[in-house]
Amino acid sequence: MHFVPPMLLPALWVLLLPLASAALIALFLRRSGGAAAALSTLVAAAIAGLALTLALQGDRFEYACEWLKLGNFSLSLGIKFDDLAALMLTIVGIVGLCVHVFSLGYLHDDAAKARYFGGLSIFMFSMIGIVLADNLFMLFIFWELVGFSSYLLIGHWHEKQSAADAAKKAFIVNRVGDFGFLLGIVMCYWANGTVNLTELGAHHVFSTAIPLLLFCGAVGKSAQLPLQVWLPDAMEGPTPVSALIHAATMVAAGIYMLCRINVLMVPEALNVIMWVGTVTALYAALCAITQRDIKKVLAYSTLSQLGYMVAAFGLGSTEALNGEGKVVLVATGVGAAMFHLTTHAFFKALMFLGSGSVIHGCHHEQDIFKMGGLRKKMPLTFITFTIGVLAIIGFPYLAGFFSKDAILYLSFEHNKAVFAVLAFTAVLTSFYMVRLWKLTFLGEPRSAEASHAHEGGITLTAPLLVLAVLAVLGGYIGLYPHAYAGVLELVPEAHGSAHTTIFITSLAVMLIGALGAYGFYRTAATDTLQEKSPGVFGLLVALKESFDAVYNYYVAKIQQRFALLLNLIEQLFISGLIIRGLAGLVAGVGIGARMLQVGNLNVYVYWFLFGLVLFLACVLGVS
Amino acid sequence: MSQLPFDPLLLSVVAPLAVAAAIAFGLPKRWSVLLAYAGFGVPALIALWAWIDYSSAAQAHGYAYLVRHSTGLDGLGISLTLGLNGISLPLFVLAGFVGLAAGLYAIRSGAERLKLYLMLLLIMQGGLMGVFASVDIFFFYFFHELALIPTFIMIGVWGGRDRNYAAMKVTIYLTAGAMLSLIGLIALYVKSGADSFDLITLRAYLAAHPLGATVQHNIFGLLLFGFGILVSLWPLHTWAPLGYGAAPSSAAMLHAGVLKKFGLYGLIQVALPLLPLGVGGWAHTLAWLAVIGNVLVVGFITIAQRDLKQMIGYSSVMHMGYAFLGIACYSAVGAGGVVLMMVAHGFSVALLFLLATSIHHRTHTFDMGEMGGLAQKTPVLAAFFVAATLASIGLPGFANFWGELSIFVALWKFSPLITALAVAGVIISAIYGLRSVARVFFGPATDELNRVTTANPPADLSWSEKLPALILLAALLFVGFWPKSISTPLNATLDAVYSAPARSAAP
Repeated sequence: MHFVPPMLLPALWVLLLPLASAALIALFLRRSGGAAAALSTLVAAAIAGLALTLALQGDRFEYACEWLKLGNFSLSLGIKFDDLAALMLTIVGIVGLCVHVFSLGYLHDDAAKARYFGGLSIFMFSMIGIVLADNLFMLFIFWELVGFSSYLLIGHWHEKQSAADAAKKAFIVNRVGDFGFLLGIVMCYWANGTVNLTELGAHHVFSTAIPLLLFCGAVGKSAQLPLQVWLPDAMEGPTPVSALIHAATMVAAGIYMLCRINVLMVPEALNVIMWVGTVTALYAALCAITQRDIKKVLAYSTLSQLGYMVAAFGLGSTEALNGEGKVVLVATGVGAAMFHLTTHAFFKALMFLGSGSVIHGCHHEQDIFKMGGLRKKMPLTFITFTIGVLAIIGFPYLAGFFSKDAILYLSFEHNKAVFAVLAFTAVLTSFYMVRLWKLTFLGEPRSAEASHAHEGGITLTAPLLVLAVLAVLGGYIGLYPHAYAGVLELVPEAHGSAHTTIFITSLAVMLIGALGAYGFYRTAATDTLQEKSPGVFGLLVALKESFDAVYNYYVAKIQQRFALLLNLIEQLFISGLIIRGLAGLVAGVGIGARMLQVGNLNVYVYWFLFGLVLFLACVLGVS
Repeated sequence: MSQLPFDPLLLSVVAPLAVAAAIAFGLPKRWSVLLAYAGFGVPALIALWAWIDYSSAAQAHGYAYLVRHSTGLDGLGISLTLGLNGISLPLFVLAGFVGLAAGLYAIRSGAERLKLYLMLLLIMQGGLMGVFASVDIFFFYFFHELALIPTFIMIGVWGGRDRNYAAMKVTIYLTAGAMLSLIGLIALYVKSGADSFDLITLRAYLAAHPLGATVQHNIFGLLLFGFGILVSLWPLHTWAPLGYGAAPSSAAMLHAGVLKKFGLYGLIQVALPLLPLGVGGWAHTLAWLAVIGNVLVVGFITIAQRDLKQMIGYSSVMHMGYAFLGIACYSAVGAGGVVLMMVAHGFSVALLFLLATSIHHRTHTFDMGEMGGLAQKTPVLAAFFVAATLASIGLPGFANFWGELSIFVALWKFSPLITALAVAGVIISAIYGLRSVARVFFGPATDELNRVTTANPPADLSWSEKLPALILLAALLFVGFWPKSISTPLNATLDAVYSAPARSAAP
């Protein structure tokens, strides 16, 4: 490809600026947190500006160059900038800037501010790499790199054992998913002769294994069952990180990746994907009900919403004829999944930053049962957080209402069982969200921290306002510039009676959940559910803990013991016997193990000469 | 031929050896140290120059900088022929840089009997540069022995815990491996009938007169297990963790980082091109040994280690499994992946051994159970160690990733099942890698560590540690971001080997 697209340069800037920022911080600004924060935030602002420019000026292009070639294996790095990438880049740019600004206030006094902002810059670089990647190998490279930045930022307060453990867990669990992802990519490469997304779209072999292996990557990164365990723990990271990486962008990368490879999908694979998403949505919503930590509630809520997106992707499949007259699958779930990803990015980032504002105001108290009454202490946080809550529970005409309806409609059309589960999950969503909201903001303060709570500075409140506006308006597809039409035109819209059914259903589930929670929970220092119905509460807690219990059992009792056993065999048997055997052999040959005394220079020189003599003898013997 | 008035490759071998000789002849300590900088610096500079210059250098018989020096043994087909091709160039660069890092570290290490220590290290360095610059199999082997002997002595004299046992064990294993591969090389010489140790002559001769399949199979077997022991092929690997655990850091850096690659290099540069039919019969045995033994079993054993240095030693054995898997593929992708892997692993394991010693200086122990929280006291050391660990577990952005990826890609063609097992290894390496980072640096400090650090408050990485570490880290990142710097010359050489219809030529 010799034609260089005019917008290539800004696209390269948007990718490389954050890398340059991270490198500068690592090399020169390690001790100057303020300068590092300023640099990183300026770069984030530049990214947001460039991202919007790139997305809105309408130019769509692809460009690649070869990066590694060995034999018949060639790997290239390239940019595929279509409407899908434009939409994702816009989200990353806007949320990224909001989080950077919020971090300025939130981590103002942090001892390792430079490391934090360096990590954010690495994250922006890696995430933008995923967005722009034009082939699966490149996607994988940046996929691993976001995992690394996530590791770095979860473990930001590494002196806390829990934070160190959470970071490690996130990385390792993601690697389990990446195991399948990488195998899928390699398999795809040999099956199709290419991993370029556009070339795959033009021609590829049909396989169930390839999309399912690739889906493993999404299961890890987007924390779907059974690899969901790392995401709640990841809340050990600073709250802005949770907003950016563990709610709005990185964890959504799994859904983005699925949309990227939708041409490879086959009905069997989509079916699996649909059910994994559906079960995750339900499971996480059930877990969210018992959480006391404000961030953990939001984390399970994120899991649940990611489940919605994955289910949406799996749901939308229709058959069509391709250019060669073969029946191929068009995964129309892309529209619904990406639409929900977009609105979710706005309202979930809003709520996470809102929770950050609450935590900051309450002097790092995170237990909602020790909050209460923040409505009066932190009015701006209260209003914006309320908008976020209304958006996620699907309050009519806010962002989440439209995107969730699109998914409910898809499931209603395709699979009634999934529809029932997702509708029930929506009840739970509004239930745990209103519980969280009521306990945090209403009633009277229940701790000294809460009664001394205060609103933060402009850096904390401005991002909330921006995101609140987006959480209100984000659902109106008509408001989006035409630049994103390639994705948003795919969003399914209900008409006629289906429209009425969906509207009534979603309104009903929202009201049942919300009013139920509002009426049920008292603003008290103890969990009402736990008091009134300890059985249900205990069951939900057990449900939440079952996965961790199984994994912990595996790690401590199986993996570690297996490792120790192998080590024992190694030390006793292989090491012991073979060395003795060899020593005996050497002695038998007549060289005398005695000569092998250590540190005796002569012996080694003899050995050396012996070898050379042997060598020469053989040579002379034959010539 | 280069335009220089001297043979740069010969200089890279002679310079460290000359300094070693000067020290041996009683140079005063101050001068010894000064000259040692030159002894390590000159090969590194020549390596850097070759890396930059290679693409524009004139090529003869597939080699750049080819010079034949007479040895008086020309009648036997032995001559000191030096040159670099796409396979040896990356390793020559590796040897130069790791040598410089190990040398700088050693000079400032304050080791006892420093002069002797430096002398041995310089001999090692000269040998290493010679191994990868030699086009003649005799000298290829000779230089390996030259570099190997100082290793034994350094373990025996400056070693840590269990040094006597370790030195004995390492000597027995490595001598056995060297002997086995020697027999294989001699058999190759004898059977080929080319009357030459020169790789260029051998290659041309064997292309015209291929050996029979059985002969190739047998010789390849000898070379495989001979070289295999030297590269710690499971289950002949147990010398490695023990030896590295006991070896002084600079020796461990040079051996694990560079010298150990001799066996793999021999397989790729000598055995695979000259015995194209030999690998077929061994490939499955080799691949299963490597994937079950080196990757999975040793991977789990690595998880069980408490001793930091042993852990690094075992992880190195595990990564060698990937290299063997690449060799079993017998393809340009596989072999190329192995070379990338060798270079990357050389830099990263040397860096890890260096940092492990730096950690030991501050904690006075290698037991990871007695550390913790060190990142609060030494953030720079922690950052380096995290980077080195992530490099060694194959994070993109570091050179190691390209090696692993290419090998996995090649391996799928060989066997998807083995590929799946091998890729599972990346989970295992993440477990032990991140676990060691967490145990050493994160969380609260243990009581044992608090006792040590109260008595001797640890300082962060000093420049005498940071400079060699930076050299290694920069190399890892450079190749990680720009793999073409190695793969372009490599691919040109591999193309010539693997596109030739050698497999069908023999009767």
